[in-house]
Amino acid sequence: MWPAVLLVTLPLAAALLMLLWPRRARVLHFAVAVGLLPLAVSFLLQVTVSGEQQWFLGNWGPLLAIRWQADGLTTLLLLVSVTLHLLVSAYVGSIQRRNPLPAAFWPLSNLLLASLQALWLSRDLFNLYVCLELLGMVAVALVTLSGDKALRPALDYLLYSLFASLCYLLGVALIYAGYGVLDIPMLAGQLEANWLNAVALTLMTLGLMLKAACWPLHLWLPAAHASAPAPVSALLSALVVKGPLFILYLLWTTLAPAAFLPAAAYLLASAALGAMLFGGIAAIRTPYSKSLVAYSTVAQLGYATLALAFILRFNLPEFVAAMWLFVLSHALAKAACFLAIGELQHTLGARQVEQLKGASQTMPLAMFAFAVAGGSLIGLPPSGGFLAKWALLLGLWQSQQFFWLLALVVATLLSAAYVFRVVVLAFDRAAPTAPDFSPQRLPQYLALLPALLVWVMAVFSLPLLTLLKQEL
Amino acid sequence: MQAWSLEFLPLLIVLSSLLPGLLIFTLKEQQVALRTSLNLLGVVLKLVLVYVMWQGVKAGDNYEFRLAFLPGADLILHADALSLLFVVLSSVLWLATTIYAIGYLENSPLRSRFFGYFSLCVSATVGLALAGNLVSFLLFYELLTLATFPLVVHRGTPQSLAAGRRYLAYTLSGGLLLMLGVSLLHLLAGSPDFTPGGYVLPLLATEGALLKVAFALLIAGLGVKAALFPLHGWLPQAMVAPAPVSALLHAVAVVKAGAFGIVRVVYDVFGVEVVSSLDLAWPLLFLAAFTILFGSWCALAQQDIKKRLAYSTISQVSYITLGVALLGPLAAVGALVHLVHQGVMKITLFFCAGNYAETLGIHKIRELNGVGRRMPLTSVAFTLGALGMIGIPPAAGFISKWYLGLGAAEVAQPWLILVFVLSGLLNACYFLPVVYRIWFGVQYSAWPAPQRFSQRLETHWMLLVPPVFTMLLILLMGLFASTELSPLSWSELIVEREFSFDD
Repeated sequence: MWPAVLLVTLPLAAALLMLLWPRRARVLHFAVAVGLLPLAVSFLLQVTVSGEQQWFLGNWGPLLAIRWQADGLTTLLLLVSVTLHLLVSAYVGSIQRRNPLPAAFWPLSNLLLASLQALWLSRDLFNLYVCLELLGMVAVALVTLSGDKALRPALDYLLYSLFASLCYLLGVALIYAGYGVLDIPMLAGQLEANWLNAVALTLMTLGLMLKAACWPLHLWLPAAHASAPAPVSALLSALVVKGPLFILYLLWTTLAPAAFLPAAAYLLASAALGAMLFGGIAAIRTPYSKSLVAYSTVAQLGYATLALAFILRFNLPEFVAAMWLFVLSHALAKAACFLAIGELQHTLGARQVEQLKGASQTMPLAMFAFAVAGGSLIGLPPSGGFLAKWALLLGLWQSQQFFWLLALVVATLLSAAYVFRVVVLAFDRAAPTAPDFSPQRLPQYLALLPALLVWVMAVFSLPLLTLLKQEL
Repeated sequence: MQAWSLEFLPLLIVLSSLLPGLLIFTLKEQQVALRTSLNLLGVVLKLVLVYVMWQGVKAGDNYEFRLAFLPGADLILHADALSLLFVVLSSVLWLATTIYAIGYLENSPLRSRFFGYFSLCVSATVGLALAGNLVSFLLFYELLTLATFPLVVHRGTPQSLAAGRRYLAYTLSGGLLLMLGVSLLHLLAGSPDFTPGGYVLPLLATEGALLKVAFALLIAGLGVKAALFPLHGWLPQAMVAPAPVSALLHAVAVVKAGAFGIVRVVYDVFGVEVVSSLDLAWPLLFLAAFTILFGSWCALAQQDIKKRLAYSTISQVSYITLGVALLGPLAAVGALVHLVHQGVMKITLFFCAGNYAETLGIHKIRELNGVGRRMPLTSVAFTLGALGMIGIPPAAGFISKWYLGLGAAEVAQPWLILVFVLSGLLNACYFLPVVYRIWFGVQYSAWPAPQRFSQRLETHWMLLVPPVFTMLLILLMGLFASTELSPLSWSELIVEREFSFDD
């Protein structure tokens, strides 16, 4: 259990220390970020070897204490968060001379990591609320780091986020009133299909879908993610929106009574369809490169939501695998996309997609990173995105959902369209560059790294599926 | 053969172009000598390795490399007689095209990027040829799309970007259909290795409808690259690419990948028995026959040399599909041997078209008047390629058309012979006037943009050697078709192995 506790408390303690000694913040930050990585790896190996672990914080009895639980999925999410946290920090460090982020970035990103790690581990409805609330607050604060222009989107984000948390909290309160328990495994199978529970679950789902930017509740996301500094957008798109999705998965696969599942599946599937289609179309139409990537997040979350909807309907292992493979591969790919676009934007001064013309000649590395990550977003083999899409396809064929196969084809073509919209422009002849044009290389390599990781994922499909406990 | 070479030779053959390609990406524009030597090193190494493997396969060795990939579907590189046919074709033509491209792109910008993707493209093609199951095939099929796209848009002009967008729209949709088909089939039958005679026979009784769906999806996905009507729209436009790229796309890499895939799906996945009992061959047969005539008909109307060649490709590649769809052994021999012959002939024609364009600035057919005297060697090569395409002996094209005709007669589809005759007539109609202009036309104006590349030769030697080399191949393949070394006897060997399972 110690690695798990450290994974949460170390960044939390680091954040507090940074507030006390702001001048040492960077050193402390990197020491912690690097130290967490072996911890997460060892925890993953430990869970692989000795199986699922759970414990009650503070050694209280199950009714009072908060239950933390770590299975293969949780440890994978922990590892990915730690990896991306380290990577993004390294990126921020590498561009420190050029365009430094405010010092508040360091403690905030540690707080973000701490709340996220706690969220992956916790199996308690109220504790999850606390994590969610903290996560939302920190995310809003991070968005404001890019200055005045981000205030408006950040404020919107804050309002949506607060409203969403309130909805969720109300739902939790209703359930607590009915059963006196907040522990998810203890509540499993207890909920009857009455109208009170229906209201509670609806409220919680509404709040979580808002936070996870499920279509049509995604309106805050593109503005917030596009106006945040690039490394922050990477964290937000890659990790933060996945938190509420995880809770949604817990709620509906363990808590919800079976009678509610068809309705929920219907709702989620419609939201997913809207996200895949309209998110994709918006990404094709937007003139700005960062909103293109942000809209692509909306679209890509649609795949995961669709998989969740089908988990509720058919309970096939393919869908569970597809959902989490989508989440993991999207996290890596989207981090690479945002970092690459951030580099391109800064070096070429290009906020608009059109200005990326010829980028394959002026900044081949960053462009390559974007293209490679984009390949995974489209689902081209052999990438993590392909793996996820393959699992989803198998599931859909098996349950004979021909309409959804068609929808998936259209959605994939849309994602190909917005990725190649950028890539084709990059192959245009470049405008001549200034003689002192010398893009920084290290940040570009840092953008490329997660993109390559997501392609490596495909080779490790079998261990990944073993960790997710799904057999195809 | 030692065990390790049996396992790693297929991988090495793919890596022998992949690694130089990746290295070339990192080179600076000025490092010409290093880039050229890397390129040639890759080519020579690949040819040597392919030769070793060829000898091994002839002796019955089993080359196979496996890597865990998807659950239930390994990544397999496996060398059988059929894959070797395609591997040899692409390696030999890669040699010719590399030399040609070095000469063609001399002093043009962005060569490191070009040769990098060029090598990736060949690696993907060879990987596709060696792919041992459908999932591996899908993987290389998609990689081929990604590797060829930068070559199509290489010039960076608005037309080439538009062509690139269109190319991607077609090929990515095709890839997606293929992926759907592969996943459906994976669910029904798993993804076992390609087996002569197919592996879906046990499902015939229970899953007939879904098998039909899978077949349609697979053929539609492959048909995009094979430029089967109505999925051919990308090909004529992709002509804006530099000549070596068009040569490679048309002769080996892209269109052949589609045709080769159709061969694999019909013979090694579904098997002749299932295809005929589900009546799947008919639609394919009609589509291919229509494409043959349609492509030739469109070619007649083209005034641009490369455009005419492009429509001719659409028509000629469908001969392969047609031969496969006939489901008889003789037609199969014709189809397979045409895969090789068409590749060599078409690459010769594209080399020549590129020579005319580079040396004299000729792009239109009417500008060709009297070019035979100015560029005799190129013109001889062009003429031979054109005659081969029409199917006049002793050029190689005659052999393949002969076998296709025999095949049609064998399965009692004599109406197809009419298609062949009509198409041959159309071929003659669009090639012979060109040949006539080259040799007997009277030059009526100065060459559009003449260049002097060489004092003694008609053009740069690197532009001249490849078409002459492939022209000789056309002649040799035609004249020595009955010897053991010819593609014909190798195709017969393949067909023997493919069709012997039910005896």
